[in-house]
Amino acid sequence: MSDQAVETQDLVREYKGGVKAVDGVTLNVESGGIFGFLGPNGAGKSTMVRMLTTLLKPTSGTAIVAGYDVAKHPDKVRRRIGVALQDAAIDPYMTGRELLRLQGVLHGLPRAECRARAESLLERVDLVDAADRRVGTYSGGMRRRLDLALSLVHEPVVLFLDEPTTGLDPVSRVTLWEEVRRLNREHGTTVFLTTQYLEEADQLADRVAIIDGGRIVADGSPSELKAQIGFPMLSVVAADGSTPDDVSRVLATFGEIVPGAVDRGAAVRLPGGSKAMADAVRALDEAGVRFAEVDLTEPSLDDVFLASTGRHLGADDDVSE
Amino acid sequence: MSAAALATRQTAALAWRSIITTLRLPQAWFPALFFPLVLMAIFTASFGGAPGNIPGFPPIRGFLDFAVCGAIVQGVLIAGTTAGAAFATDIEHGFFDRLVASPTSRVSILTGRLGASVALGVVQALLFLSIAAIFGARVEGGFWGVVVVVIIAAIFAAAVGGLGVYLAIRTGSGEAVQGMFPLFLALLFFSSAFFPLDTMTGWYHAVAAVNPISYLVESMRDEVLGGATIWTALTGIGIAAGLAAISITASAITLRRRLRVAS
Repeated sequence: MSDQAVETQDLVREYKGGVKAVDGVTLNVESGGIFGFLGPNGAGKSTMVRMLTTLLKPTSGTAIVAGYDVAKHPDKVRRRIGVALQDAAIDPYMTGRELLRLQGVLHGLPRAECRARAESLLERVDLVDAADRRVGTYSGGMRRRLDLALSLVHEPVVLFLDEPTTGLDPVSRVTLWEEVRRLNREHGTTVFLTTQYLEEADQLADRVAIIDGGRIVADGSPSELKAQIGFPMLSVVAADGSTPDDVSRVLATFGEIVPGAVDRGAAVRLPGGSKAMADAVRALDEAGVRFAEVDLTEPSLDDVFLASTGRHLGADDDVSE
Repeated sequence: MSAAALATRQTAALAWRSIITTLRLPQAWFPALFFPLVLMAIFTASFGGAPGNIPGFPPIRGFLDFAVCGAIVQGVLIAGTTAGAAFATDIEHGFFDRLVASPTSRVSILTGRLGASVALGVVQALLFLSIAAIFGARVEGGFWGVVVVVIIAAIFAAAVGGLGVYLAIRTGSGEAVQGMFPLFLALLFFSSAFFPLDTMTGWYHAVAAVNPISYLVESMRDEVLGGATIWTALTGIGIAAGLAAISITASAITLRRRLRVAS
């Protein structure tokens, strides 16, 4: 197998009416890592995953997954990938064990192996006690873990997880992260996961691509991306009597203004770090600018997103795709 | 394993899944048993004196003997609608995507669902005949009569299942498929499923006389009431097979079209 788990070239998916959900994505995901595909709702993440998992034909461009072209050899791709899509489609009236065995049969595993795989996977995702309960009685976290197990029945080379923790409580989220990490570490499975959570990409992925409006706007390891941003950001909220422009005028003398970072105020990249912060605050005072809040933040993936798109990620967290 | 053997195994596994999910959900199987049986009971109580007395109604043993095949066909229609709705739910909720993204043979997506419909149709036919027998009905055709009734019911179940799948893919909504049910019921009532053609008059008679369901039910009924021949049996089997051929072809074409968006 090639050392690239996913390789796309100018991948485009155009929907009716000419809307390009994915607009010329070129991406290389190396084997063996955890790749985070980060973007807000409607950015094209799911469309991308549907193309890579053979569920949707690309309008143009090529995609090679696990060594095979998704358009030319979809069957070969399907045998090598595991897929857990958003809103896990799990029969509420079947038990976890039944679903795992069914999935084994669908992948053409011999009967004895279906049983053995089901047992070992139930153990791995910690669902042995719930194995004979109907899935309808499972909690959200248990369903996602079962969904993860279902996508692993045939020991895929590349695993696609579309928003695996959306809607989960923090504890369940961390449990699932652990499971994904372990899978990657112990079995060498390449993981391609989409997420709208910065923290998830930051915590889990060793490489991140940020997608917005169907295009890749940043691509690299989380630390590389943050290093590109460079300096910590000082944000100042204007108080009554002063305008954001007043704040911005003073801050501009200390570094590069970050457009759109603060609603009623301004933000600046401070090359001098926290030392420069005191100077900046003093300068605001001397200029007679009234301000309500001052905050210094280390660069985060959100800053990367902001720097690339001029918007915050997660501003529309509650809107479902 | 050869491709055919694998597809057969996948079909069996998907049929099994459809059957157990149906049996575990009372809403899925209860209407298909309850409504036809209740209707059969009401008709039998109301028209018990009809045979031989109403002009055009043949002098048979009892109304129950007459009504049971109509009930079987009605039950199969209800079960088929439920199966179609379940298929639509699979599309809506993503089980279908899971199948498409796996190496599951495309044929078994359809044959698995139809296999379940056929199996449930067989059970329904046997159950309804047994219940009718408990209340005094008798299959004059004996063992082979029962076999013919069950075969026709099974093929008809495949036909209705195919129609359900077709509607499921076209609408993509379980509720839309359920919403079609009154149409099916009208098709059943505008036939000789519950009353002989000879008792009907005017345009009602005209509609029922061209409705294939009339002849399907009559060929089953001949086995119960007596007077069946190899030709009456083949008529029923032929009609069921013809309907199945049409609906399954239509569902296969729409499924193929639906899968064309995929690689």
